[in-house]
Amino acid sequence: MPRRGARLLVALPLVVAGCMATKSDVTVLQQDIMLVRAEAAQSDSARRQEIQRIMRSMQSLTDSMSAVATRLTRLRADVSGRFSAIEEDTRRLQELAGQSQSRMQELRAAVESRVPAPTTPGSAAPAPGPNQLYQLGRDQLLRGSTAAARTAFEDLLARYPEADVAADAQFYIGETHAAEGNAEAADQAYARVASAYPRSPRAATATYKRAVAAEGARRTRDARRLYNEVISKFPRSDEAALARDRLRDLQ
Amino acid sequence: MMLRAFRPAIALVIVLTALPLAVASQETPRGVRIGLSYGAGVKPGVIVMPVEATRGDSVRAIVQRDLDYGDRVTVIALDSAALRGLTPAAGRRFNYQLFSRLGAAAIVRIVPTAGGYRAEVHDVTVRRVLRADTFAVAAARPSGEWRMEIHGMADEMERWITGVKGMARSRVLFVRGSDVWMVDSDGANQRQITRGALTLSPAWHPNGRMIAYSRYGSAGTRIELHDLETGSRRIVRATPEGLNITPAFSPDGQHLVWATNREGGTEIVAASLANLASVRRVTVGRGTDNTSPSFSPDGRKIAFMSGRAGQPEVYISDSDGTNVQLLTEFTFGGTSYRASPAWSPDGRLIAYQATAGGFQIMLLNLRDRSVKQLTSTGVNEDPSWAPDGRHLVFTSSRSGVQQLWVIDSESGRLRQLTHAAGARLADWSPYLAPTLSTEQHVTNTPD
Repeated sequence: MPRRGARLLVALPLVVAGCMATKSDVTVLQQDIMLVRAEAAQSDSARRQEIQRIMRSMQSLTDSMSAVATRLTRLRADVSGRFSAIEEDTRRLQELAGQSQSRMQELRAAVESRVPAPTTPGSAAPAPGPNQLYQLGRDQLLRGSTAAARTAFEDLLARYPEADVAADAQFYIGETHAAEGNAEAADQAYARVASAYPRSPRAATATYKRAVAAEGARRTRDARRLYNEVISKFPRSDEAALARDRLRDLQ
Repeated sequence: MMLRAFRPAIALVIVLTALPLAVASQETPRGVRIGLSYGAGVKPGVIVMPVEATRGDSVRAIVQRDLDYGDRVTVIALDSAALRGLTPAAGRRFNYQLFSRLGAAAIVRIVPTAGGYRAEVHDVTVRRVLRADTFAVAAARPSGEWRMEIHGMADEMERWITGVKGMARSRVLFVRGSDVWMVDSDGANQRQITRGALTLSPAWHPNGRMIAYSRYGSAGTRIELHDLETGSRRIVRATPEGLNITPAFSPDGQHLVWATNREGGTEIVAASLANLASVRRVTVGRGTDNTSPSFSPDGRKIAFMSGRAGQPEVYISDSDGTNVQLLTEFTFGGTSYRASPAWSPDGRLIAYQATAGGFQIMLLNLRDRSVKQLTSTGVNEDPSWAPDGRHLVFTSSRSGVQQLWVIDSESGRLRQLTHAAGARLADWSPYLAPTLSTEQHVTNTPD
């Protein structure tokens, strides 16, 4: 019994002390909360202000962005329009250049026919110039005289292998064979265009024609290879656009 | 006395006059001769004798009109009653001297037979039958087919006389309102082909039995093939929804080309009639309009209209799409408009329409690129060649309303083909079914 009393005497101060600590803590906590609330209230206000400031800035930025976007759109339309105009002008120039080239070709042939050309050894008659021979070949081809046309083109290549119209002549040799239905000879002549005159615009056309012929003859692997060759070597040509279409169909 | 004094002079004149004739006759080579003997640079006069048969007057009128419309001969129209008196009895010869005085270089005589007609062409200059043949006419009179068989006979006789076959046995497709119509080359036998749907751009197949046109429906305009014999029709399934216009057949009849919307523009594509599902691209317009394809006679090239240079111009390319060339005269910054090319059957010329005080019909010679303006009155559009390679049909407003007119490209002579308002977009057929001939007769046989 006396031992139980002694234990209570020891515990009581501890319990009272514990209660005392809790009460002060609550007070502190209450103060803290008030402080926090005050701070929070202050902070929200500042944040609101900050947010409002940011929002004003963003609005301003959005307006600026919108103005910039509008200007950009206008600029893009303007640039696009100018590009279209430039593109159109380029095309027109190309057409004009193409037509002028054709005219020049005819003029050169006419000039050659009037200017006395050097005579071939052992021959009294003056030798025809390359443009004359080319024009002769084209005329014969237009008339359907494929053999005569081929003779003129072959003569041109034999006499003037470095002439400006050499690639064209080689291409039209292929055309004469194709017109006669001689697919093998046409293929060889077209192949010669691509190998001997790889920088000529005729090279793209000749290679594409080889591909079309291969496709027609159901040599699909050859056709694919040649279409791919057109696309890789002459990516901006019309023939490349046609070849892409054909490859899609061959898939 | 005076006469006696002049005798040597008269004799000399006679000799000098006769000498060139003698020399000419000696120089005339023997062998094959095409056509009639007549002076160079003149159209030979032809007299068509009355046809003594039921509807013989119709036969004579059709033959006379066909020869006249061919523009290669001058038909001397004389009264039937007067000519009957000049018809020789059986076994007797024509009075060639008299016909020569009437201005005739040839006499056409048509005699009915059991199954048709026997036609003779007499060469007045050499006083003998130039050629004769029998033509079976199976169709019931006076149907459209009967008329076509008479046209066929007239075409052959024109070939005997001039060496060039006539174009009478052909027809013209055109659009009136929203339907396709057809008319004979002489303006007769007009009939409606389609009903109830907007149809445009009719085109003949080379076999003369099938046509193609662009038909408007819920899926846009699509290409439709129409068999004129059976009346059956089928949509070309390969034509995607949207725009599909200006169809044309290749000369071998194996391929169909047309313009379709692609990549923001209009491109020409081709498909084999045996496999219409596989469509091949022909033009690379890069967003521009490319329409109105027309094949060269050998089928190796195509003429078409393209706006790739800024304004519509006529181009030619190989039929696989390569080797593109601007054909019409290009002016930098110009505002010209050139369209609707049509390649002539002989391959030498391309007809098209161009702005020259309103649309006018132009002819471009492919040999030297020279251009000839054919029309100058009213608005003239959409030329199409007759199978003789000489005449063109086109739409013209010269009468105040749109009508079809035919022009002779060599003489410029015009005739009105249709008379009801609103005809446009004509396409002239090839020669239709061959002339039925039961037996061959001698050529250049002395009478």
